[in-house]
Amino acid sequence: MSQLPLEGIRIIDFAQVFAGPACTRILADLGADVIRFESPNRLDVTRNLIITDNDGMDHTWHRASYFVIRNASKREMVVDLAKEEAREIIRKLAATADVVVESFTPRVMANFGLHYEALKEIKPDIIMCSLSGYGQNGPMRDYAGYGMGLEPASGVASITGYKDGPPMRSGLSFTDPYSGFLGAGAILTAIQYRRRTGKGQYIDLSEQEAAIPIMGAALAEYQMTGRVKERIGDRSDWAAPQGCYRCAGDDRWAVISCSDDAEFGRMAGAMGHGEWKEDPRFATVLARRQNHDTLDELITAWTSARDHYDVMHTLQCAGVKAGAVLDGKEILFDPHFKARGQFDVVDQPLLGKRLIPRHVAAKFGRFEAKARSHAPLLGEHNAEVLTELGYSAEEITKLQEDGAIADKPNLPVPPAFIGVALRLPYDRYVEHGILQAVEPDYREQLGIAD
Amino acid sequence: MPERALDGLRVVDISQGIAGPYATKLLADAGALVTKVEPVAGDYSRRLGPFPGDNPDPANSGLYHHLNTSKRSITLDVSVASGQVVLKKLLANADVFVAGEKTSTLKSWGLGYDDLDSDFPHLVVAQVSPFGATGPYADYDGNSLTAMAMSTIMYNTGEPDREPLATGGEPGEYIAGVQLWIGILAALENRAKHGAGDHVDVAMSDAVACADEYNSAMYGFQGAIRRRYYSRHIFGYPNDIMACADGHVVVIPGAGGFRSPLTPDVVSPMALLLEDPELDNNPVFTGAGERMIRWREFEDLVKPYLSTHNAMEIVMTAQALRLPFAFVPTAADLLSDEHLAERQHFEHVATPGGDLTIPGQPFKMSETPLRASAAPSRGGANEQVLAGELGYSKDDLRILSDRGVI
Repeated sequence: MSQLPLEGIRIIDFAQVFAGPACTRILADLGADVIRFESPNRLDVTRNLIITDNDGMDHTWHRASYFVIRNASKREMVVDLAKEEAREIIRKLAATADVVVESFTPRVMANFGLHYEALKEIKPDIIMCSLSGYGQNGPMRDYAGYGMGLEPASGVASITGYKDGPPMRSGLSFTDPYSGFLGAGAILTAIQYRRRTGKGQYIDLSEQEAAIPIMGAALAEYQMTGRVKERIGDRSDWAAPQGCYRCAGDDRWAVISCSDDAEFGRMAGAMGHGEWKEDPRFATVLARRQNHDTLDELITAWTSARDHYDVMHTLQCAGVKAGAVLDGKEILFDPHFKARGQFDVVDQPLLGKRLIPRHVAAKFGRFEAKARSHAPLLGEHNAEVLTELGYSAEEITKLQEDGAIADKPNLPVPPAFIGVALRLPYDRYVEHGILQAVEPDYREQLGIAD
Repeated sequence: MPERALDGLRVVDISQGIAGPYATKLLADAGALVTKVEPVAGDYSRRLGPFPGDNPDPANSGLYHHLNTSKRSITLDVSVASGQVVLKKLLANADVFVAGEKTSTLKSWGLGYDDLDSDFPHLVVAQVSPFGATGPYADYDGNSLTAMAMSTIMYNTGEPDREPLATGGEPGEYIAGVQLWIGILAALENRAKHGAGDHVDVAMSDAVACADEYNSAMYGFQGAIRRRYYSRHIFGYPNDIMACADGHVVVIPGAGGFRSPLTPDVVSPMALLLEDPELDNNPVFTGAGERMIRWREFEDLVKPYLSTHNAMEIVMTAQALRLPFAFVPTAADLLSDEHLAERQHFEHVATPGGDLTIPGQPFKMSETPLRASAAPSRGGANEQVLAGELGYSKDDLRILSDRGVI
């Protein structure tokens, strides 16, 4: 196996949920030894999200897909930081670490005596990154931040939505992974600086702020014209036509975008309507913008008779920007994503082979930044990490007895109760159109059956 | 001058638009010397605007000024041989080369990775393109919209009976830019350890697919295929934007918002917020599955409170109850936001059209804070770079200029 760029870098990872784990998943796939920490009293909530097969079985915390896709390639310890022996483990580990990542609200690390200043005493060149909803200072610093709120808080929802409709969220909280990506790059930047100067530093990343650059054009528009940017559906301020068009089949769609007259001419030709480019209603970009609704009807008449992939290939081969709108199944079968290795197969304990998405998009010539191992079971590496730190078997047993470390959650209710509670009524979701379908033979279809 | 994180790093960037320039902005604001190589007509983001008073002027594009801070600009036609000769002289002293073209285009210019690797073995050659350097769609064209379409995010955004909706602000471009930046830094780290440059190939489609939160996982772990349902999370309802007296708020009950079987006798934070403890006895209110399916009835339960209170009051009260509600600001709201002001988020740059407030840095570094200085004028560094650094004479420059190469 080729060497990876972050081999030899050790990361202590207190991050929970999505943004932080996406950040450290990137660093882990780049070769860092990421040791994540959970509390037995308060598991990472993603251990309760999207339980494999939605079957209500026991040990849900080992069976949550959401956790698995975010935490592959890492090791894990479960420690109760309320106990001094647990904090001592962290301090010993910090002496050997290069980076600490955490995603609590601002007070938490200080309460444990594990804030940057304290860790710097132990390891002067440590790099620490705090990922939070709203940052470490300012009147909203203590606000609880969930991704569903942080995307709108960045302003992006105000420019997302149908024309004349209300602001909308994306169908998932994309600023969570996006801010995690930025955290990973910030840490890589700090590592470059440390390599040159030997100095560590502290990084304060606010998920709200991280996404504000996406508002760059809208912020400039307000200052330059006094206009608050309107919602325009799938249309563009620059390209016309641009939109999402109905294709043959049930709920199949393709997007098309023409940046200039030449591209529009190619589109018209590919659709068998070369005359459109001479039509005064469509001949210039301004005319196309004015008559966009009419043009959309003509385009839909062509797309709606064709499969969404056919629309994409026919137009792309004619030199027109187009793309099939893919659902969560189609992306797993798409030839592009297959050829590019977007999904790695990991052999996950209790779950068997599973496909999980890459977190590093880049393809390199000299190494591959992919999932290196399964996502850790709860406390899977307690003994391994403690042994590396010089703890004896007796000491490890004592830590376990004292509740400083654990490999099971401290649950207030029987585990079976949680399994049942987390089971979502998928049959009713299908009936109401919240889900398109549930296919029990999906593993055979994907070729990952045991 | 204080030390910067990336002092000494030299980047040559021929990319245009958003993705590539955003990646090199993140390097430039951290101290890298980024030489932006514009076509003679200028980066096309200069034509996109917005413009002061809606008067198109390539010197005043707001998008350009946001994305190209802290760089210097030369103009060079890299599609012709004499331009390629100048570019290769620049690359001889560079650590990173950034391009936003498809592989077939770069190869036709003699600037493909294979062409550059033998001459510049230490160079990190970074390429961001719609569908990547390899794979069946490598020659396809695209933009943020096509990437959002392929990523599954768009299919799951919007109303169930209407077309899927792309997220505003061209996020696919920014996500690709950030992934390109990560790839460049990883390749530089690898070079520092193992001595060799590398090819960094980022497809915008792949970058956005990396940001899919769980759509592909729902199929790969459950066989379930999600579809758009008012952009709702599968985890439960509500986690959504709702109307209030003066605009909109994001209603998020979070992990502890509703009555839990563990605390049956305590009034739930959501019921407290809505000032009606009786709600805790209503199955439409307390049952996660019921809320998801009977969401219209749930809306009727929350509307009386939301429609009579302002966003500020709702979010502050909710947050005091540890409910992670959020605001839905517009661009104008962000510019006057007290929290962002106290964090000194925004940066201010001088442009030919006047002072412009631009988005600040996406993170704050304690020792080496990123800082933006104004974006360069088109070709502003032609003489400094070509004459001063590459040793071209005044006559050479005039000839290149006459031929439209610079």
